[in-house]
Amino acid sequence: MIARRTFLQTTAFAAIAAAISARGANAADPLGIALILPSPLGDVGWSHTLAAGLDPIKAAYGDAVTFTILENIAEGPDADRIMNKVVADGNKFLIAGSFGYQNGAMQIAKRDPSVTVLHASGFMVAPNFSPFAAKYFQGTYLLGMAAASLSKTGKLGSVSAFAIPELITSVNAFTLGAQAVNPDVEVSVVWVNTWFDPAKEQEAAKALIAQGCDVIFSNAQDTPSVIAACEEAGVYAFNLNSSMKAYAPNKYLGCVATDWSPFFKASVDAHLAGSFVGANAFLGVSDKVVEVVDWSADIPADIMTKITEAEAKIADGSFSPFTGPITKADGSEGVAAGVVLADADIIAMDWHVKGVATPLPQ
Amino acid sequence: MIRLVRRERASRKLAVAAPLLALFAAILSNLILFVAMGKDPAAVFYALLLEPFLTWSGFSEVLLKTGPLLLIAQGLAIGFRAKVFNIGAEGQFILGAIFASAIPVYFLQATGGWIWPAMLVMGGVGGALWAVVPAFWRVRLNANEILVTLMMSLIAVQLLNYLLLGPWKDPMGFNFPQSVMFQYDAMIPILLPGTRVNVSLLLALVAAFIAWIYMQRSFGGYQLLVGGLAPEAATYAGFSQSRAIWLSLLIGGFAAGLAGAAEVAGPIGQLQRSISTGYGYAAIIVAYLGGLHPVGIVASSLLMAALYIGGDNAMVSADLPVAAVRVFQGSLLVCYLAAITFVRYRLVRTKGATS
Repeated sequence: MIARRTFLQTTAFAAIAAAISARGANAADPLGIALILPSPLGDVGWSHTLAAGLDPIKAAYGDAVTFTILENIAEGPDADRIMNKVVADGNKFLIAGSFGYQNGAMQIAKRDPSVTVLHASGFMVAPNFSPFAAKYFQGTYLLGMAAASLSKTGKLGSVSAFAIPELITSVNAFTLGAQAVNPDVEVSVVWVNTWFDPAKEQEAAKALIAQGCDVIFSNAQDTPSVIAACEEAGVYAFNLNSSMKAYAPNKYLGCVATDWSPFFKASVDAHLAGSFVGANAFLGVSDKVVEVVDWSADIPADIMTKITEAEAKIADGSFSPFTGPITKADGSEGVAAGVVLADADIIAMDWHVKGVATPLPQ
Repeated sequence: MIRLVRRERASRKLAVAAPLLALFAAILSNLILFVAMGKDPAAVFYALLLEPFLTWSGFSEVLLKTGPLLLIAQGLAIGFRAKVFNIGAEGQFILGAIFASAIPVYFLQATGGWIWPAMLVMGGVGGALWAVVPAFWRVRLNANEILVTLMMSLIAVQLLNYLLLGPWKDPMGFNFPQSVMFQYDAMIPILLPGTRVNVSLLLALVAAFIAWIYMQRSFGGYQLLVGGLAPEAATYAGFSQSRAIWLSLLIGGFAAGLAGAAEVAGPIGQLQRSISTGYGYAAIIVAYLGGLHPVGIVASSLLMAALYIGGDNAMVSADLPVAAVRVFQGSLLVCYLAAITFVRYRLVRTKGATS
């Protein structure tokens, strides 16, 4: 929490950072961009989306940039070594694509100010180190509305990767969106504690379906296993990052898609211009990073109209899913009436809203 | 019809040539693969085979990775020679890491030079304790130690998950399943300045030396060896079989636990879910590649570590996909095992026989 707030101080380092990165940017050499990914680079999912986010940079800079994409790198000492090697090989722009790379990536950033690091889902900030995260909650809120309108049992489920704030907020907003349509809806969560384990994820989905959940939210799985299991069982499902409609042609509810290219491109531009300043990048619909795509045609027209209205309000900033009054799952007050939760509090959320039946792992 | 017939005497020349031939065959076959994939074969082989030894930073990482492989493999080999097959070193490694981490997790404010040595001792004890279970069941109920040690590894992973998701989770870690970062005194001192290689490498080398003395020069080691080669002769000579089982498993568990402790108190610096990238299983291959001989294992653990580092290098520098790296590592082992087979056996053509 304290580390998260120090990013305000980083503006003080802006001048220093600018001077240092300007020295690192040499027009003669191509800029080496390295992307480290926690899971195999498949056709869908988190790793795929990050890699796809580099395409516009390639288009814009051509031979002036080189790419090194390393997939399926286990978090831990191996990742530290590989990131060190990548930087030793002359790459000056490192995208560390998983929370668990944080300590190793931060050491590199501190040791070598000419290297710019973007780090997924973390909370540490330095003049040349930006954590980035998507406001998935803006999309999951909308899908919550759709889910509640299609659920017959009033029971919704989520197979979720890790109980970190980013994913807790996704589940919370999903629940709040559902409650906006049906206040009595109940959400069950299975934390699978993995980013990539098709068998385990599928089992969790089946367990939720067996409990009566008839819309499932696949929260940060890098495989279509949950989506495919739901199609087979005939229940609706949606997921994050990239569309998995191909795996569920009939029961696909939609996708909270992420497009990292605007952020990556802006960061590379800033690095090359010598103006990069590390800051907490929490990006959503208005940043063109988050967008809901592939809406199911089964959603009732009146609900779809409401969803479109809410989407427009989220995009122009006039509405946030985390607008009070919001009650926590334990009954205490989460957000006071009329208050809109600040980004800094959303990004650190460690409580569930009322309506999430499963207690958070403590 | 071609059959394998055991050679009456393995040729020493052949025994030396076999690993080299295997290396050559693996390189050649993969060369074809890499060319077919459109990669520059020279760049791939430089990154894969030469770079780990030619750059200081690369070689230091090889040494770092050699440490745990060497420790675990030496411990396992002692058991393997007594025909006690402990394949649960992975679990014993994890228990070692857990036991060692208990000190910094509960005494994060403690300072002093005693902390990391105490963590190593705790780790060894933790690994050995995890091996007590299969040893006990084997001696008492003749339960197969291969199955029990393997299953104990699965339990160890769940125990680790439980601790990291529950009582040992870093309270400031945003709910991510990992412990606090350990304090300075809980880290093993660096051996080679400027690298991540720490004092535990010396420990592994000392362990190799002790293993050599024990297996090649002591009566206790001889008893174990005879028990493995000729159990009935061993019984006739009055060597206790249950003693051999207990010793094999406890030594293997202690060594693996020590390696686990050295890993969390070394390059990782905290307890997390991915503390082992399969060291416990890789060490089984290392032990056999080294011919179950303490000196051979020193060489094979170095080779195995270099293969890992080279594989990562090839991904980073030569743009090789991770699958191709695994294919190369796998084919090297297959070629080696085939070569070793031909050192001990020869092909004989027989006529007509169908069985």
